[in-house]
Amino acid sequence: MSMIEVSNLTKDFRKTIKSPGLVGAFKSLIKPKYETFEAVKNLSFEVPKGEILGFIGANGAGKSTTIKMLTGILTPTSGYCRINDKIPQEDRQNYVKDIGVVFGQRTQLWWDLPLRETYSVLKEIYNVPDKNFYKRMDFLNEVLDLNDFITSPVRTLSLGQRMRADIAASLLHNPKVLFLDEPTIGLDVSVKDKIRHAIEQINQEEQTTIILTTHDLGDIELLCNRVFMIDHGQEVFDGTIKQLKNRFGHIREIEFELVNAEDANRLNFSQFGSAIEYSQNEKNVRVKFDSSKVSVPDVIRLTLSQVDVQDISVKDADIEDIVRRIFRKEAAEHD
Amino acid sequence: MTNFLRKYRPFVSAGIEEAIVYRANFLLFALGNTLGAFVTYFLWKAVFQSSTNSSLSGFTFPEMVLYIFLSFFTGILTSSDGSSSVGDEVKDGSIAMRILKPISFTANYFYEEIGSKLIDVGVLAVPLFGGILIYQIVGTGTPVLNLGNLLLYFFSATVAYLINFYFNICFSFTAFFFRNLWGSNVLKNALVIFMSGSLVPLAFFPPVLQNVLKVLPFSSLLYTPVMLYLGKYSMQQTISVLLLQIFWLIFFIFLAKIIWHFAIKHLSIQGG
Repeated sequence: MSMIEVSNLTKDFRKTIKSPGLVGAFKSLIKPKYETFEAVKNLSFEVPKGEILGFIGANGAGKSTTIKMLTGILTPTSGYCRINDKIPQEDRQNYVKDIGVVFGQRTQLWWDLPLRETYSVLKEIYNVPDKNFYKRMDFLNEVLDLNDFITSPVRTLSLGQRMRADIAASLLHNPKVLFLDEPTIGLDVSVKDKIRHAIEQINQEEQTTIILTTHDLGDIELLCNRVFMIDHGQEVFDGTIKQLKNRFGHIREIEFELVNAEDANRLNFSQFGSAIEYSQNEKNVRVKFDSSKVSVPDVIRLTLSQVDVQDISVKDADIEDIVRRIFRKEAAEHD
Repeated sequence: MTNFLRKYRPFVSAGIEEAIVYRANFLLFALGNTLGAFVTYFLWKAVFQSSTNSSLSGFTFPEMVLYIFLSFFTGILTSSDGSSSVGDEVKDGSIAMRILKPISFTANYFYEEIGSKLIDVGVLAVPLFGGILIYQIVGTGTPVLNLGNLLLYFFSATVAYLINFYFNICFSFTAFFFRNLWGSNVLKNALVIFMSGSLVPLAFFPPVLQNVLKVLPFSSLLYTPVMLYLGKYSMQQTISVLLLQIFWLIFFIFLAKIIWHFAIKHLSIQGG
């Protein structure tokens, strides 16, 4: 039986259209015009217990809207989701007992109180027995290193500390389903690492089902057994990360900093054909290519043989890149 | 019941702690309000001095002084901040975090507010109410202090606070539709100040308007407890105004439940 079942989930928003300028502002004040905007269209998927699902898509693709419907904050226009055998919108108080939610952009911590107070409030709200609470706090302290700042008021915490504290807060009551909306946004590598480790451990020890949205391919590669990608509110991919890469190519990007900007004229990658493309911005040359067709060392070797290079950096493709590529590919298939 | 108390008690203490964090803010607020009460006092003093009658609409000057400071104190006692905080939370979307907790939305606000109110009233009640009592004892021609009226006052003021709380919660739910409450809040506050008798006692209005205002819920928020303290009501009137208060309380509790039921479906979290 699946922990999460989503069926034909759709959400429309009504937006006021405002003509530009002051005159436009007055017009829309007197006679507003509306436009329906479909944020999520007909999404259906299931998530079995204990799975970590990476929910990805570009900005504005409808990820957060979907998460908000799954957590019961928003009511779908049509379709439904059933999680842990409950419809979130129907029985809110009962449903939220068994879920944990972290929104990277918001906090559930008591802004003006020491962090520890938030945990004792949450303990009472969720009715966590003393014994479980202390055991849980010990574990969370250990994986998320909360001890250094547990007595500080929340408003004085750094972003990384706050995010760790927020994740701990969402796990205190041992939820069956955990929703993480961009939990690593804006964090440095060591904090990201801690958070990923914590998520992994929770998933393994408690069989917690997790839905994770992120822009960081690293999160996905390390954590997710499965990736679900949406764009313009519609499903575009559902499968493993390996399948995603196989299907859409291993895009790599190398950035060369040249000694002389004029040297760029001498660059010639024609031997790799259409698998490669490059752009130049003064001394910096960006080369993008499909690493399943062209190898990284070959590109570097060829470049070095043609021009003098000061610096080289190799990057993995980010989610946006993959999404963009999927669309170009689909557009090409349609032509 | 004990389980219920355990679940919401932390909000009371969190409310207290938050009020203490912003104590400077609170003291300035209290100072500003007190200044306002004195401005009203001098205004009425001028009115009574320029009149040839010693009593206006049934109020002698000492009674008027009591009315001014008592209505000021009652205003603080029964004030409820629910509408502006719900409005802010809807505007910036942080209300989502409240909805995600397995607790009653209204109760959550209520207990948080009770916490900060304990501090507010604790700090203001002693000097202010002390001042009122001293004035009553040493002032000449002032109404006699009456224990029965005092008890009636506290009962009625408590009901007034509850009415105000639920009224504000009902009002705040309109934020779910309008997205921003600032404008309608200013309008609401102006109307409430006028119709609850906190600016001018309702007895000063023309009889027709008076009768309408006395039935509306606003008089229950402030006018009723203050008039009870001043002993302006007969036994029969006392019973009928108290029943009216209780009627409005029940009315707003149910209205809040009904509006919540529809409002939650309309909620759209802005941003993020």
